[in-house]
Amino acid sequence: MRVFAAILLAGAALATLPLLGLPLFYESFLYLVFHWIILATSWNILSGYSGYFSFGHGAFFGAGMYTTATLASRFDVPFLWTLPAAALVAMLLGAGLGAVVFRAKQVRGELFALVTLAVTFVVGTIVLNTPIDGGPGVYLSGVPVPKIGPSAASSFYLMGLAAAVATIAIAWAIHRSRLGTGLFAIHDDEDVAEVLGVPTFGCKMAAFAVSCALAGLAGGIHALFVSYVTAGETFSITVPLTVVLMSVLGGTRHWAGPAVGATIITALLYAFTAGNHAVAGKAVFGAVLIAVILFMPGGVLGTLRARRPRKGALRAPSVLPAGGDASNEAEEVAVPSAATKSPAVARTKVILAAAGLSRSFSGVRALDCVDIEVREGEILGLLGPNGSGKSTFINLVSGHYKPDAGALQFEGRDLARLPAHRIARAGVARTYQIPRPFAHLTVLDNVALTAMFGGAALPRKEAVAEARRWLDFTGLADKADALPDDLNLHQRKFLELARALAARPRLLLLDEVLSGLTPGEINGAISLIRRIRDGGATIVFVEHVMRAVMALTDRIVVLDHGVVIAEGDASAVMQQSAVVTAFLGKAHA
Amino acid sequence: MGLPSATLLAQSVLSGVFIGALYGLLGLGLSLSWGLLRQINLAHFALAFLGAYLCYQLAGAGVDPLLTLLIIVPAFFALGVALQWLFARFDISAFNSLLVTFGLTVIIEAAIQSIWTADFRRLESVYGNAKFKLGVLYIPVPELLTLLLALALSLAIWAALRFTDLGRAMRAAAEDGPIAAAFGVNQPALALLLSGVCAALAGVAGVCIALSYTLAPAQIYAWIGVVFAAVMMGGLGRALGPIVAGIVIGVSEAITMAVTAPSWAPLVSFSLLIVVLLARPGKVQ
Amino acid sequence: MMNAIRRIATGTLALVGLSLLAAGTSWSAPSGTPIRIGSTLALTGPLASTALVHQIVGQIYVEQVNKKDGLLGRPVEWIVKDDQSKPDLARTLYEQIITVDKVDLLMGPYATGAILSAMGVAQRYNKILIHHTFGIPSLAKYDAQFPTWSLGPDPATTFPNTLFDAVAALPKPPKTIAIVTSKFPSVHFMSLGAREVAKKRGLQEVIFLEWDFGNREFGPIAGRVKDAKPDLVWVGAIGLEGNQLLDAMKKIDYAPPLHFHMYPAPGPMVVAPEAKNALAATIFEEHPPFTNNPGAAEFVKLFNERATKAGLPYTGVETQAAASYSAWQVLDAAVTATKSLDDKVLADWLRKNRVDTIQGKLRFDGPSNYGDDLMRLKQVQNGRWVTVWPKSVAAPGATLMTN
Repeated sequence: MRVFAAILLAGAALATLPLLGLPLFYESFLYLVFHWIILATSWNILSGYSGYFSFGHGAFFGAGMYTTATLASRFDVPFLWTLPAAALVAMLLGAGLGAVVFRAKQVRGELFALVTLAVTFVVGTIVLNTPIDGGPGVYLSGVPVPKIGPSAASSFYLMGLAAAVATIAIAWAIHRSRLGTGLFAIHDDEDVAEVLGVPTFGCKMAAFAVSCALAGLAGGIHALFVSYVTAGETFSITVPLTVVLMSVLGGTRHWAGPAVGATIITALLYAFTAGNHAVAGKAVFGAVLIAVILFMPGGVLGTLRARRPRKGALRAPSVLPAGGDASNEAEEVAVPSAATKSPAVARTKVILAAAGLSRSFSGVRALDCVDIEVREGEILGLLGPNGSGKSTFINLVSGHYKPDAGALQFEGRDLARLPAHRIARAGVARTYQIPRPFAHLTVLDNVALTAMFGGAALPRKEAVAEARRWLDFTGLADKADALPDDLNLHQRKFLELARALAARPRLLLLDEVLSGLTPGEINGAISLIRRIRDGGATIVFVEHVMRAVMALTDRIVVLDHGVVIAEGDASAVMQQSAVVTAFLGKAHA
Repeated sequence: MGLPSATLLAQSVLSGVFIGALYGLLGLGLSLSWGLLRQINLAHFALAFLGAYLCYQLAGAGVDPLLTLLIIVPAFFALGVALQWLFARFDISAFNSLLVTFGLTVIIEAAIQSIWTADFRRLESVYGNAKFKLGVLYIPVPELLTLLLALALSLAIWAALRFTDLGRAMRAAAEDGPIAAAFGVNQPALALLLSGVCAALAGVAGVCIALSYTLAPAQIYAWIGVVFAAVMMGGLGRALGPIVAGIVIGVSEAITMAVTAPSWAPLVSFSLLIVVLLARPGKVQ
Repeated sequence: MMNAIRRIATGTLALVGLSLLAAGTSWSAPSGTPIRIGSTLALTGPLASTALVHQIVGQIYVEQVNKKDGLLGRPVEWIVKDDQSKPDLARTLYEQIITVDKVDLLMGPYATGAILSAMGVAQRYNKILIHHTFGIPSLAKYDAQFPTWSLGPDPATTFPNTLFDAVAALPKPPKTIAIVTSKFPSVHFMSLGAREVAKKRGLQEVIFLEWDFGNREFGPIAGRVKDAKPDLVWVGAIGLEGNQLLDAMKKIDYAPPLHFHMYPAPGPMVVAPEAKNALAATIFEEHPPFTNNPGAAEFVKLFNERATKAGLPYTGVETQAAASYSAWQVLDAAVTATKSLDDKVLADWLRKNRVDTIQGKLRFDGPSNYGDDLMRLKQVQNGRWVTVWPKSVAAPGATLMTN
């Protein structure tokens, strides 16, 4: 909140500038700085945070520009009233595009950049060839500049300032919100984010809509500033390229990065406008850009931040309360271990039911008509040789893949029809066999993310407290502010576990959490898992470590080639000849 | 407005193929460095124009424009190697490479402007007016040269990446650097080589531009949009991608221009591109 | 004390004597604080190729005027900034020129978009704006702006008439016309005007095509024009577009019988073999009778020298340089006649008077302060541009040729 107050205060202080009686040029120049701040910061809300690099910012900026130009010059709408319309049109354009593009899984990375670039050209062509423009451009000479400040320049200055302050405040608010965390998770691993409960489509849509609306607003103001709008100048590669450069220069992972980059680049462009060495100035401009990014590879803000001692509160996007209350609550969770197995499970209700579940991958049947039931409160071991379909089962239940056929019911809900994040929200959490942490989020934020988006659905502040509790539980408390890359395999496995637990799942899917651990570590993990079950979770446990299977499971299901070949008490099942053949046959092959 | 004649259509398709080939040639080096080196090399366009101006200059001194390749290709190869050395030295990430190469672009543009002025330069050569007739179709020689060069280079690089140990090592290094390194792939050396090749390709594209186009420093930016589109559509790091995508864009625009209002052409080609991307699940990459 | 006073007195006397001496040897050297004239030009970016011409012209004028007795006896200083071909930057730089540099007078920037931006600023500060390259007269709504590119208030009607008059005087006047145009604002409205005029005059339009400015693909357009078999092709092109279309026509062995290009880049078109007999609009060419105008011959000579020295491939004076020089002449004339730097006084004088420039007499009393349409028709003949219409300004012996 202090940051928010600081943004507003800075804005208010700057708003007094027109009273100082400086030459009006400074206001005009600062307007241009604000203009680029709005464009770069708004671009960053989707593209910097979530990694969906858009090359289409020119289209949204242009949509706003033409909306204002058309309304103000043809329909005599007062200029200020055209601005919400400009934002709205740009937002609708973005939302329409997002609704199509974000559904297509293949349109990620540079393909998203390509689609948005193509949209810029398409929109530009439409504007140029329809009465919106038609070719001659739109001239706004008759449109009065609203008298906000003492002069036209100061009016633009104040409008630009207000919009820039609003944009930065929004960028900051999103950065620290659930939405921001979701976007950063999408940036690192979208599939995992979705499975852990982040409504990726919704997050992207929300960010895109906000981003486009702000670009449209900037366009609307700019239409009157330049007062002559042409399609050629508007729908070019210049706007997207410039905002990308500004954001990268300032640092895309920081809410203020694009604003810093925009200020630097605009000021630099200005520094070299003297007519007698314009060309040399251009070269110097290029050289300065190179020098800055060579020596500040994380962007200006990114690099400055990295130089300071790493503290949780400083790492994106966590804003932490003092962590005093975390430890005593942790005791509640860490219930002393009760009986090793719960004899009563046979009578409890079925929490997860798979019937006729099938899934193929390019013709190979990974699961073939599988029926599995999981009862509330039990630990079900899922066994089988490599490639037998265990992980596929986990992937289907968690929504990572959709089944080709069969029913999958979780507490009466049809999982096959739910998007993955709704499954997570319903109370299913999972770990990945090969840990897939979000590489750019701290360990703490990795865990807090599921507390926010998983079954618990906590507000951010409580989620962070919850995350600390589970880090304590898994022994990672002192690594809270580290990045996942700094962890060893054992710690990364436990991070997976903490991440799943923070969701407070009703059904926990553990995919080979023990593989790769030393016998000592396995012992620790076994007691950990017991404690988890005693906390009330139902567990599906995929494992090769037989000692753990025997010690932990109430019941096991054995898969081979995608088919259930045995089911029942662990020791009994392991005697069956089919099971032995499946394992040994595989082992000898 | 009646239907266009078959000759007009055929000639238009041909002209679309020619310009598409130039998109592809310009995109080839860009795609390779983007896909295999993880560098978004904006300076590729500036290098191409630098090559074009050098070709113009040398041709003005009496050298046959095609023979200028003998000077431009090695010189640009060295330039590319130097550039990669800089990138490796500072360990520049993909998006930072965008910024660094933009800075380079601006510097090269300024250099071009101070040497050759901002005014238009046009290479007049024996190839300029050369053309021949194939049935009812006219084949202009400079464009044909561009097409042949683009095809030959794309195919050669495709084959090299696919069938030679060096190429396989390059692709492996791009897919997983540490593992490739563990198998003894000398990644830094490969990157130097590849970057040199990419810059040399920019030089070749530059010569082709000089053969067919009038030069001005700001033209550097005129090609970015469409070539980026071709590169991304063709798939990063794929040698045949840019030329195929470039020709698809070029031909679709040319046909649009032949049958309807030419100013609608970008709408058709780019809508087509969007539809293709959305309709082909995970396939374009 | 007395000594000191005496010393100062002798010193002053000596100084006065020296300055009198100096005045005697070059009695017209300007003195006093310089008159500062501010403008921007697109010295970098896509418009730089032409802006360079305006920079050279401005430098020539300033040197010329300072070599004489300056303006009102004061030297002239020209402050020029680079607007990087961006209209929004031009606007802000004009504000800087007015409010920070506090110049005495303004000069227009290069090209329509930037001039519109500058015009808005000039209007807010009540400065007069004399400009040289504004293409759409109807957009010039400020009463103290003065165009020296003499298009007349309605060039989209008047100029096509000039062209069609010229071709109608041919032994075999064209009956059909193809109109192809870029959607670049300042040429597009001219092309639409040409359509209207052609229709009124009974020229049959066989094809009308528009392309997006920045188009690279001219093959299909060339093919369609060829198939339409027009007697006259109106090419609404700016910069290199005309060359690109001609190049595409050449590739399919087509040379239109008559072809007019709106605003071609003069250099590339005059050297291209396929541009033989290309027609274009002009207000000034390097031949009589234009060069008979006062000051014209000297300017042409100076410009040729400077352009060569600056390494420009095309060093001739034509519309751009002439309009630019006229702008300086108009500013000079107004200041000299009124002995004032007051914008209001200057504007009043300009609205009431005609000014001699190298392109002829300009007046500013029509709609949007435009006067006569002085656009003539020129043609590429034997590797140079010659004016061919109207006959009164045609180059000696030159007549309109057809392919």
